[in-house]
This record gives sequence, structure tokens and C-alpha cells, in this order.
Amino acid sequence: MSTDATHAPWMGGEALRMESVRKVYGPAGNQVVALDDVSVRIPSGTFTAVMGPSGSGKSTFLQCAAGLDRPTSGRVYIDGTELTGESEAELTRFRRQRVGFVFQQFNLLPTLTVRQNVTFPLRLARRKVEKGLAERVLERVGLGDRLDHRPAELSGGQQQRVAIARALVAAPSVLFADEPTGALDSKSARQVLGLLVEAVRDFGQTVVMVTHDPVAAAHAHAVLFLADGRIVGHLDRPTPEAVAERMTHLGAEPTGPGVPAPAAARRAAPGTREVVA
Amino acid sequence: MGAYTLRSLRQQPQRLVASFVSLFLGATMVMAFASMFDTLVGNDGLSSTDTEALVTLGAVVGGWGLIIVVFAVASTLTLSVRQRSREMALLKSVGATPAQVGRMIVGEAAVVAVVAALAAVAPAALVGRLVFDLVRDSGQVSAAVEHRFGAVALAVGFGVTFLGATVAALVTARRTARLRARDALADAELDDGGSRLSRKRTVAAVVFLALGAQTGTLTATLMKDKGSDAMQTGGQASIWAGIGLALLAPALVRGGARLFGGLLERVGGASGYLAAHNLRRRAPQMARAVMPVIVFTAIATGAIVMQAIENQATEAAGLAETASEKTIETLNFVVVGMIAVFAAIMVINTLVTATTGRRRELAQQRLAGATPAGALATVGLESVVVLVVGVAAGSLASLATIVPYSIARTDSPVPDTGLGIWLVVVGTAVALTLGSTLGAARRALRTPAVEAAGATAA
Repeated sequence: MSTDATHAPWMGGEALRMESVRKVYGPAGNQVVALDDVSVRIPSGTFTAVMGPSGSGKSTFLQCAAGLDRPTSGRVYIDGTELTGESEAELTRFRRQRVGFVFQQFNLLPTLTVRQNVTFPLRLARRKVEKGLAERVLERVGLGDRLDHRPAELSGGQQQRVAIARALVAAPSVLFADEPTGALDSKSARQVLGLLVEAVRDFGQTVVMVTHDPVAAAHAHAVLFLADGRIVGHLDRPTPEAVAERMTHLGAEPTGPGVPAPAAARRAAPGTREVVA
Repeated sequence: MGAYTLRSLRQQPQRLVASFVSLFLGATMVMAFASMFDTLVGNDGLSSTDTEALVTLGAVVGGWGLIIVVFAVASTLTLSVRQRSREMALLKSVGATPAQVGRMIVGEAAVVAVVAALAAVAPAALVGRLVFDLVRDSGQVSAAVEHRFGAVALAVGFGVTFLGATVAALVTARRTARLRARDALADAELDDGGSRLSRKRTVAAVVFLALGAQTGTLTATLMKDKGSDAMQTGGQASIWAGIGLALLAPALVRGGARLFGGLLERVGGASGYLAAHNLRRRAPQMARAVMPVIVFTAIATGAIVMQAIENQATEAAGLAETASEKTIETLNFVVVGMIAVFAAIMVINTLVTATTGRRRELAQQRLAGATPAGALATVGLESVVVLVVGVAAGSLASLATIVPYSIARTDSPVPDTGLGIWLVVVGTAVALTLGSTLGAARRALRTPAVEAAGATAA
């Protein structure tokens, strides 16, 4: 898929590295720490799930990692390149080069057809739209016969598969997925997860997925657990049972999210937990 | 449901600002001119000239205003309800019947109408007095006549505002009720490309265009030797023609998309590409932005050029402008000015509401990789096409006034007034359209894309 050497994943490389990333929301005096000194390394060609209870900072984690938002402090590297730039335009250009994104609500452009949606990011990046590329990728996600349909004419599962094709077509260093199965029935959810697994297995794609569903998380190579804005655990070769088990305990831990510590207390004790997934 | 209506009005009053502004201005105009009938009733011993002048002012001038008001209010209300289709769907999903949702829409409109009419009473009395003074000072009404503002103005003002708002709301509610909850929650309202204008819309457009043609023909024939009296029919023609073409706006937008779509795609980069597709697929929405541009251009160009022709004709006849003629001119500009201001506010209302309603779509565009400037460029390019279509149709409609009036006063279908007036009107339309659209888009782009798209589950 990737013809551009600088974007090809290299064996043993790091697709994503976050160093002491901290994200604080709200005005001074009423601040909420969404991410508290998070450090993470994710190797290329792996599938990582990020789990945590509501409000644990999962989505903030993903937005900071994907360059949709700027961390308050700390550094983010994608494919060895530091995510810099203050303005949204600069972040956008960075994302176009290196990041693919799949959202819970699909976010396809309603006025474009399936094929046009898939090639739109390439047009934005002024990259040449290789003939037949969109068709090939859409064939891969099982929508080769829906090229000229509009998003509104497709089921949720089909729309999400278009979104995955759109994310894959630019051959990103990392594909981020935010609750990609959150709005889907279980059959469509399985198809979508299957596509993500396939992208990793067959094409060496790096995938980072936020989810609250243990079954979805069990498709990944490894699971990171977030609670109160910190990485609090890590599980290799997850099974749904093991993930669910860990999540239950996460909620029961005295320092865990079951008893959310006040923001002030959290700010007072920043601990560094580095997790190598 | 009534309780929900009031609560939602109290908590989100800004949502209805656009409707309120058009209703308020509409009520002001209607009441101001209706007060001429109060004056008619409230003064004894009026001469037949007095009566005629007052009736003309109240009925003819007020009548034009009325048409514009109903048109403006209907389009603003429709738009504001559509912007809230998600809220409507939400209400349905928690068990509101379509009839209940309909009552809510109508109830809201009625409340806003009453508040707007109340607020309009004092300004209307003032405007009515100003207009009346102009007429009296020009000698069209005897000096002894006193301006009155009373029962007729209030009854007509409240009645028209209330009825206009509720009828417009009923039509909108009926349309909303047809949407199923699921469809409304999804991003609906796409044009299937092949969809035609509804039969009702086409019939209405034909009727208005016919009215324009008829008043135009009358002006050029029957009113030919009646001097400035030809203004009575001449001025109307561009209004009717403008409304007629405005009703055809969806078809005009589709034509514009066909004409300029390819060009946008070729030279506009990704922004132009998306703008072209939006224009093709969103003709009904784009049409709502085109309509006020047509009406504004038609009325402003038609009326001002007509006055310029009249001035030249008077001059050419070697007559100095009498005081009375000067006042008629002033009055003409007051009326045209009011209508033009009204149309201008409609342009702003419509475009701001429409653009703000696209917040989610703009966010999706950014999440797909468009920079804020790129998203703004898409909106800007769409606006340019809206402007070209609106100005072209509006200018065409203005000819319904200009050509017959020029024939009536100078025997030549082409007036000798130059393009200056037209350029000023077009410049104003451009400033209004781009200013309100890009301003609203810029504000919409200030929200972080992820938040605006409602994309995250957190």
C-alpha cells in the first residue's frame, strides 16, 4: 500500500511515543487534569487497545496522541517525528501525513460518494489520487459494490468500513480509532474489528483503538488501562474475560476511578508510569 | 408540551433571534403603514385627495411590505426549525407524537410573534409619523390632518405578524412531522439530484412571475402617459418578479452548480472540489441562501433605478423639481430603503443561521484533514456561486421594473442611468453575503473539531 518510503513502518520501530504528556482543561482555579504524566511507546505494526472507565481520559489520550489536540506539556512522536506546531492548520498538516482516524460517529462527508470520501484526504494533502486505489481499498473492506453510494444510503457498519478505508488510503503511520464499534450492532462490530486486525496482520498497519468493550479490546495485541488520566495497567494477549476482570478491579481499587480522587490531590502527586506495550 | 415550549424558549432565546428580528421588523413596517388607516378614521372632513393619498400609502406601500414580511418570516422560521431537526428527533425519540412536536413549533412561533409585535408598537408609531409627515409636507395630504396610531395599526400589525408566523410554522411543522425520528437524527436533507421543484412551488413561482409581467406591461402601456404615477405599477413589477425567481431558487442553484461546478473542481483544490459537490447535493439548502439575495438585488436595483429614470425624465422635460416631487422622491427612498434593509437583514439572518447549522459538517471536514482555512474556503466558494446566481436572477427581475418604466418615461427600453446604482447594490449584496457567511463560519470553526463533530464518546 505504501509507496512512500518515509511512511513505511520499519521492523522494531516506534509508531507512537508519548513522553510525560499532561493535559489540563478548564480555567485556572477550576482545572481538571485529563491526562497526568502519561508516557507510552507503541511499536510499529501492533494493535493496541486503550481501555478505562468513563472519564478516565481515554479520548483525551487519543486526541493528544493523534494530534487532534495539543498536550499542555510533554512530547508526542509519531513515527519518530515530533508533533509540533501550535495552530490547528499546522496540526492538520501533520495529521494528513502520518495519522488516520476512525470515529464512533463515522464522520463521513454527506455530500460525497463512498469513493469520493475515501480519496478526499488525498486531495486535501494535494497527493496524486492513484487510479484504482480507492476501489482497491474499498474492495478490501468489502464495499467494492458501493462506490457511488452516499453515506446516508449505507448502514452504520458499512459507513464505518468506508471510514476505515478512508483512514487506510493515505497509508498513515498510525491509525487511531475512537470507539469504532460504539455505534454498531455486534455483527457489524465484528466485521469492523476484523478489518482492523487484518490491516495490522496483512499490511503491518499500526492501530491504536480506544474502547470500553472488552470483546473489542481482546482483538488487540495488548491493552493499556487508563484511570484518572494515568496509565494504570497493561495486558498482553488479552482475552475478553481477562480484560473484563481487570476492568472490574480497576473500578474497585481504592485509588482507582471508583473513588475519583479530587483533581487537586491528583495534581499534587504526579507519578510517572511508563508502559512499553 | 406547552411547558416544554416555554422552557426551551426561556433557556435558549438566542435560537430564535433570527425569527424575532424578521418578525419585529415586519410588524414595525406593517403597523407603520396601517396607521394611515387610523389617520383616515381618526380625522374628520378629509378631502377625497387626502383619502386617496392615505389609502394609497397604507394599502399599496403597506401591501408590498406585507408580501416581503410574510416571505421573510416564513423563510426564517422554516430555517430555524430545520436547524433544530435533531432536537425534534430527540423529542420524538422520548415519545412526543408528531402532533405534539407540531404544536411546539407553532406555539414557539406564536409566542415569538406576540413578543415581536409588542416590541414593534413604539417604533412603528414613530416610523408611521415620519412617513406621514413626509406625505403631509409634500402637500399630498392637507396640513390640518393629524397622524393617528391606533386600533387599525395594532389589529393589522398583530394579526399579520401572528398569522404570518403561525401559518409559516404550521407548514414547517407539517413537513417536520413527515420525517421519521431515525431519519431526522441522521444527517438528512440531501438532494437526490433529480428532485424537481414541488408543484405548489412551481405554480406559486409562475403566479408571481405573471404578476411581474402584468404590472410591467401595464407600466409600459396603460401608465405610459401618466408621468410619475407609473411608479405605482412599475415599482411592484420587480418585487413580484424577484419573488417568483426566488421561488425557483433550487432550480437556479442546480443550474449554477452545473455551470460552475467543473470550474470549482479544477481551480479550487480540495476546497473547490467539496464546494462543487455541496452545491450539487445541497441545492435546497443553498437555495435558501440565494432567495434573499435575489429579492434584495431585485427590489433595490429596480426601485432605485426607477427613481433615477424619473429624475432624469423630469430634468429632460426642462422642469425644475418641485418641492412635492422632491418629497415623493424622499418618500420613495424611505420605502425602498426600508424594504431593502429588510431584505438585507433577511440575507444576514438566513446566511448566519444556515452557516451556523453547518458546524458539524465543517468539523467533519476538518477531521478528514481540512485546515480551518480550507474549510472556510469551501464555504466562501459556495457563497460566491450563491452570489452569482442570486445577483444574476435579482438583476434580471429588476429589469421588470426598469425596462417598462424607462419605456413609460423616456420611450426607450434602455435607461440612461449607467451601471453605478447596480454596482452599488451588487457590492452591498456581496458584502452582506460574504460578511455574514464567512463571519458565521469563522465562529463555527472556533469550536475544536472533535467537539463540534460530537465525535468522541468520552
